[in-house]
Amino acid sequence: MRMVSKWILAFGALTAAIASNGQSQAQQTIRVGWTIPAEESKYWMMKRPAEFPNLGKTYNIEWTQFQGTAPMTQALAAGALDCATQAPLSLSNGVVGGNLKAYIVAQHVFEKPGGFSVYWAVMEDSPIKTIADLKGKTVGISVIGGGTQGPFNMLLKQNGIDPAKDIKLVEVGFAVSEDALRQGRVDAVNMNQPFAARAEAKGGTRKLFSLSQAMPNIVHILEACRADFVDKNPELVKAYVRDITSGMKKALANREETLKVVNEVLKAPIPVLETYLLKDNDFGRDPGAAPNFPAIQKMLDIYAETGMLPKLDVAQFKHPTIVAPIQ
Amino acid sequence: MMSAATLLKRTAPVLACVGLLAVWQFASLVLKNDSFPTAIEAIRAVPSILTDKDALINILASLRRMAIGFALALAFSIPLGLMMGRSRAVAAFFNPLLMVIYPVPKAALMPIIMLWLGVGDVSKTLVIFLGVSLPVIYHSFEGAKAVEEKMLWSGAAMGLSAGQRLVRIVLPAALPEILTGCRTGLVLALITMITSEMIARQSGAGNILFNALDMGQYDTVFAMIIIVGMMGICLDAAFERIRARLVRWSEPQFDMPLSFS
Repeated sequence: MRMVSKWILAFGALTAAIASNGQSQAQQTIRVGWTIPAEESKYWMMKRPAEFPNLGKTYNIEWTQFQGTAPMTQALAAGALDCATQAPLSLSNGVVGGNLKAYIVAQHVFEKPGGFSVYWAVMEDSPIKTIADLKGKTVGISVIGGGTQGPFNMLLKQNGIDPAKDIKLVEVGFAVSEDALRQGRVDAVNMNQPFAARAEAKGGTRKLFSLSQAMPNIVHILEACRADFVDKNPELVKAYVRDITSGMKKALANREETLKVVNEVLKAPIPVLETYLLKDNDFGRDPGAAPNFPAIQKMLDIYAETGMLPKLDVAQFKHPTIVAPIQ
Repeated sequence: MMSAATLLKRTAPVLACVGLLAVWQFASLVLKNDSFPTAIEAIRAVPSILTDKDALINILASLRRMAIGFALALAFSIPLGLMMGRSRAVAAFFNPLLMVIYPVPKAALMPIIMLWLGVGDVSKTLVIFLGVSLPVIYHSFEGAKAVEEKMLWSGAAMGLSAGQRLVRIVLPAALPEILTGCRTGLVLALITMITSEMIARQSGAGNILFNALDMGQYDTVFAMIIIVGMMGICLDAAFERIRARLVRWSEPQFDMPLSFS
């Protein structure tokens, strides 16, 4: 029995030693969560660090890739990350359910008027012509309870459809949405880039409605940092936000190089990226990576209206000085 | 001159693989589904992964974590299993704990472990450790329990202490069973190595697989599945060779091949 205790103690000590080592390193380094796609400024920082004079000299970044924004919210709330990509809904869920306090320091992509907006597609020969025709149909959505569902629910309600009762909502990831539609597994499904461009090139599908009909300037992903981390390390976070601002400028100024950078991160062929990335049929990017707080507030209001969140004020996410653009 | 039976025995694993690939190719051609590439398309994507420097670094990072998790699990589980097999008190204490942990999918623990130990290598290695430990503990326990009492009495009569009896009698006698547990653990290490990278990752084979899945590059997804499968076959064959050397004395006389070794 004494031997067993020794083993347990030794293992516990080893685990604690390794874990505490990781925490002590966090003092000089920002631990950043990221995901794919559509974070070009961060991809530039990862793949072209020499373009950022402070990166690797005055501060370091420990990059961790996540599968979506929701796990990053958990990691932020647990203190396992300092900054991360977030969607307005996942961040707010962290605030409401996880006691997370965070600042929105930059913005990655949004739906610019005339640009790409996440849309629901049906087959060209489908009898579904309007949103009202979705009644009784099977409809795909990338994440049930995800960021797109608020505006989606709102559009359905405006057209006399109860999202909870009148449709069969199923989760279909963006990567397989075209397949699900063509195979007849769903009657309508949401489309995002680059899969929308691929489906459009193939033909046979038709746009039914897009999120921009619910509201313009929808913010899809932004950059958020834990409030306690920002308050303790304001200069460090400023340097990081300065580099995000600079990364966004570089991404927009040199499309050819951005295609190469994105290809290195996503491993998606350049000819595929060429069809949409930073073109008119892509999401919008603010040249200074500035968060659109009024648009985020409107999204929070929609989530509150559709019962997905309680009423929240975007002001709680705004730091007085540390926000992009920082030159 | 090789007999037909010997030839069939030697080529059976290859024939099984070819048969599986043929079924895959046929099913893909019939289903005509973009998310289900043909076997030939997937095989064609394998060299591009294995010749890419970044991809190799990713795969090696996963294998490093797997090796650490596997080694730590063996170092912890074999002594624990042996002690459980020889001491009712130890078994009574640990058995209920193991019964609770055993059925829990280890990858499902990842979000919780991530909150405790962060998103780095430690949490992924712990998931691998948990995946490997349980079968090794169970088989070590069963192996130690089956050791004949009279052998232990003889050892005691010859002046061996309890610790010496555990190392010099129980461990060798239980070795065939322990190695069976290790073999199961090796496969589980490979599975948990990939699943531990599903939610958060800095490097790894899962990086290639899950990124390709997100981007709808299904030939790469299936190529990675082939590569992971090949890694499993190679590791199992290497382990089986080591096992055969260590416990040749306990091998049955008839020959029924169960692996690619």
